[in-house]
Amino acid sequence: MTEDKLKNLLQEADRAAGPPEPVTVNFSEIRRRANYRRKLLSKGPLAAAAAILIAAGILNLSIKTQAPDQQEKIASLESQIKQLQASTDAAVSLIHEILETEQSQNRLNELEVRLASMPDPLEEVQQQVDKTAFILVYQADRLYLELNQTESAVETYKRVIQLFPENQWAQVARQRLVQIKEQQSGKINLKGDLKWKQQNILS
Amino acid sequence: MGENRTFCRIKRFFCKVSRNCQSNISVMAETINDELLVEQFSQSNESAFESIIELYSADVAALANRLLGWPSDVEDITQEIFLAAFLGLKKFRHDCSLRTWLFTITINKCRSYKYKRMLRLRRPPQDKDKIPMPSGKGAHSELMKAETFEHIRNAVAALPAKYREAVVLKYLQELPTEQISRILGISQNTLQVRLSRARERLKQTLTELMGK
Repeated sequence: MTEDKLKNLLQEADRAAGPPEPVTVNFSEIRRRANYRRKLLSKGPLAAAAAILIAAGILNLSIKTQAPDQQEKIASLESQIKQLQASTDAAVSLIHEILETEQSQNRLNELEVRLASMPDPLEEVQQQVDKTAFILVYQADRLYLELNQTESAVETYKRVIQLFPENQWAQVARQRLVQIKEQQSGKINLKGDLKWKQQNILS
Repeated sequence: MGENRTFCRIKRFFCKVSRNCQSNISVMAETINDELLVEQFSQSNESAFESIIELYSADVAALANRLLGWPSDVEDITQEIFLAAFLGLKKFRHDCSLRTWLFTITINKCRSYKYKRMLRLRRPPQDKDKIPMPSGKGAHSELMKAETFEHIRNAVAALPAKYREAVVLKYLQELPTEQISRILGISQNTLQVRLSRARERLKQTLTELMGK
């Protein structure tokens, strides 16, 4: 199908449809509508501005009428916030107090534990006294048995008795003095007995 | 003898020139007339618009009728077109003829009219569906022809707007290519492409129709 044939077909189809119904364009109607549109265009912005102003006024009024209610609401909210803040402060101080009590309790416990772990000073002193008395007795024994210095030994035993009269070693020192006196009077062999005892003590 | 020959030559030349320029002269006369009418209208002489209506209403109605798919009743849309022309005539810049300008408005109004109609999902009165019943001798062939033309018109109406507009302006309004491209606001190459594609579609549709 060529372009010309197509064109002829289209034109024939157009002719077959016939012309449109006779059109009567109403000029007065056009003028009336055109005037209306012009008015709309010219007064439209003014009307829009007026509408915006009115809306703004209404909005302003509504805001003003709502203002006292809003202030009351704000005041109540503020008081609620203050109450909340006070209760929060009280709770915080209580928590602080509890924490401090717990800390002091812990410190006390620690001190008690430390105290419990510390040795009794009286016992320590007693041990020191025992030790000293023993050393003196031991020294006196050596003076008497190994060095044959009986006088010095007697003096040392006496010193032990003088310094630590309640101690067990003072008792030992007394026995030694008695034994030395008895030996000097020739009743018993003190030196052999003492050596055996000294070895037992040292072990 | 020589003078006669020269005279004959000059006469032939002027005849040729006048034949070539006959169409141009009519176009020029139309343009001058349009300019005068627009000038009168811009000087608040609104009766000049009545002359414009008288001059172009038939052409505008015919174009609108074709663009809208031959609904036959195009009074409302024509009224709308001339209302738009009335409102915008003072802005007319004379960079094209008044006819071209009115056709441009027609194209735009028909587009928006079709769009609105599509939105409303409402069909206009379909007088075109009523095929006149021929009577007498050869009634059957007449009926067949009428049906074929109906199908052709439907095929044109079914084209996309950009192809339909090009086809209507080119083959039915028989406007020159330059004027069509001005009306549609497209280049001549684009117009040729659109026409070619429209022809292809129409050929395809019509071949299917003939096949049936």
